[in-house]
Amino acid sequence: MRVRKEARPVRAATGLGLIAVLALLAPVLARSRPWIEDARGESALSAPVPWDPDAIDLERRLKPPGAGHWLGTDDLGRDVLSRLLHGARVSVGAGLLASAVALLVGSLLGALSGLAGGRADRAVLFAIEVVQSVPALVLVAALAAFLPPSFFLAALLIGLTAWTDSARLVRAESKRLRSAGFVEAARAAGAARGRLLLRHVLPHALPPALATAPYVLGAAVLTEAGLSFLGLGTPPPAASWGRSLADARDLLIDAPWCILPPALALVLLVLSARRLGDAVAERSRIGSA
Amino acid sequence: MLAYALRRLLSALATLAGVLTLVFLLFAAAPGDPATLAARAAGGRPPSPEAVEAFRRLHGLDRPLPVRFLSWSIRAVRLDFGRSFQDGRPVRERLADALPATLLLNASALLLSLVAAVPAGVAAARRPGSRFDRTSAFVFDLLFAAPSFALGLLLLLIFSAKLRWTPLFSDPALGLRGLVLPVATLGLGALALLSRFVRTCVAAALGDPAALAARARGESDAAALRRALRRSAGAFSALASVLVPALLTGSVLVERLFSFPGAGRLLADGVFARDLPVVLGLTLCSGLAVVAASVGADLVSAWLDPRLRDGVLEPAAGGAA
Repeated sequence: MRVRKEARPVRAATGLGLIAVLALLAPVLARSRPWIEDARGESALSAPVPWDPDAIDLERRLKPPGAGHWLGTDDLGRDVLSRLLHGARVSVGAGLLASAVALLVGSLLGALSGLAGGRADRAVLFAIEVVQSVPALVLVAALAAFLPPSFFLAALLIGLTAWTDSARLVRAESKRLRSAGFVEAARAAGAARGRLLLRHVLPHALPPALATAPYVLGAAVLTEAGLSFLGLGTPPPAASWGRSLADARDLLIDAPWCILPPALALVLLVLSARRLGDAVAERSRIGSA
Repeated sequence: MLAYALRRLLSALATLAGVLTLVFLLFAAAPGDPATLAARAAGGRPPSPEAVEAFRRLHGLDRPLPVRFLSWSIRAVRLDFGRSFQDGRPVRERLADALPATLLLNASALLLSLVAAVPAGVAAARRPGSRFDRTSAFVFDLLFAAPSFALGLLLLLIFSAKLRWTPLFSDPALGLRGLVLPVATLGLGALALLSRFVRTCVAAALGDPAALAARARGESDAAALRRALRRSAGAFSALASVLVPALLTGSVLVERLFSFPGAGRLLADGVFARDLPVVLGLTLCSGLAVVAASVGADLVSAWLDPRLRDGVLEPAAGGAA
């Protein structure tokens, strides 16, 4: 069957890739220290965005977009574009870390539950049910309040609320594989339970969960942004997009240009993640049909 | 049906007990003493040891953990979550003050999104691949990807800052003007979720062999649509278990954005004041709402489709669409 027009994972991945590259390069692209200094220590070649994301300069506050500051400055005179670029590091980093945690926990618990069956299976299903019963943002925000503010802790917490869907998928696959010929053979050959789980079942049970990874990433980015918007998660002065939007709330009248960049960046990131997920899902449907 | 309903209610009670334990244990496991944190949030600087000790006695934090857990959960079952660290009022009272505004916000948003989503989804499903289908899919994808607070900020920018039609801070006491922006923000997010779902369900029902057979017998467009809607009803009710968490999350963010005096803002304020009883109580209440919605959805699905209650068919996961 011919691949339909919509199933283009590569194109869907470009948006995501672009943001990831910008996030990686942000410290090089946006910094006040020039790229090349001449002998007298003066700038010979400055960075394309020659402002540090956290540099406060009250003389330059509330500058509208224009030459010098392409996207303007906020009420502390910080460059919006520089903060946008550096903010990508928080969103992409937290999203990747959280979805990795979610996939790891979900696939291990799912494979365990599908393979072992019985009491372990019921326990994992119950845990899934319980974790899904509290909205992720509510749980993470509530917990983050009683923990020291930290990027890693926030990403970890988000990951620990997002593992349920991958656990369900891996569980269903493992349950099917439990009686598959090669698993029976390995069991008959005396493979230990851990080996059976990690070497024989998990590699085959993982793909459906991996295919949903882009969705998990998109959801994790949204939760992180919400957390930052509430003023939790990555502590200031880190330029996270959610926090930039919370700051922009107070500048509605004085600096409305602060709103669009982080808002659009978030939409683009989440949208490309979801598009990638759709494309992968469609590809795998076509592949199996 | 009765046996199924009883089984489902029992398992929901078990889930709630699990949520209760999870919430309490997580907060107990978090490092940092709640008394010190709350006192610091209130006073701005580290409080004296005597003050912390007095605070601890006042709120029963000096008792051992198992005792606290037991007394907390016994009272929580009666919806008594203790007294707020901030003003000493019972959490239940503060919640009762905030809840009507939140319910009004969520109910209006849900109504708005339903009124728009069903016709939009049906229209898109009737002609898959048409211009309307593609345009609406793109718009709803955008809305779905947009965080509610970013969407709300844009609405605030346009209608409050530029056009000055609506106030910068929302309050249901201001009447319609004070309600329209938060409702629109929350409703647009739900609309994106709902219309995608309606489109998928109705398109699947319309593309079914049974629909083709009916068409061959000369069934009219309207009758085909009615049949498709009826067939989607089961899957549609399963959506409640996805929609309620989405609305709750949106509510917390939107209420904070608009300074809307509801339960979501109460939670955000409680989080900032490190107000343990308020945070625990509200987290538990959000769990209660989600579990109730999912029980309701399952019961409606089972009533519509007997295969579900006899265990012949696994219930559809609402999020899969």
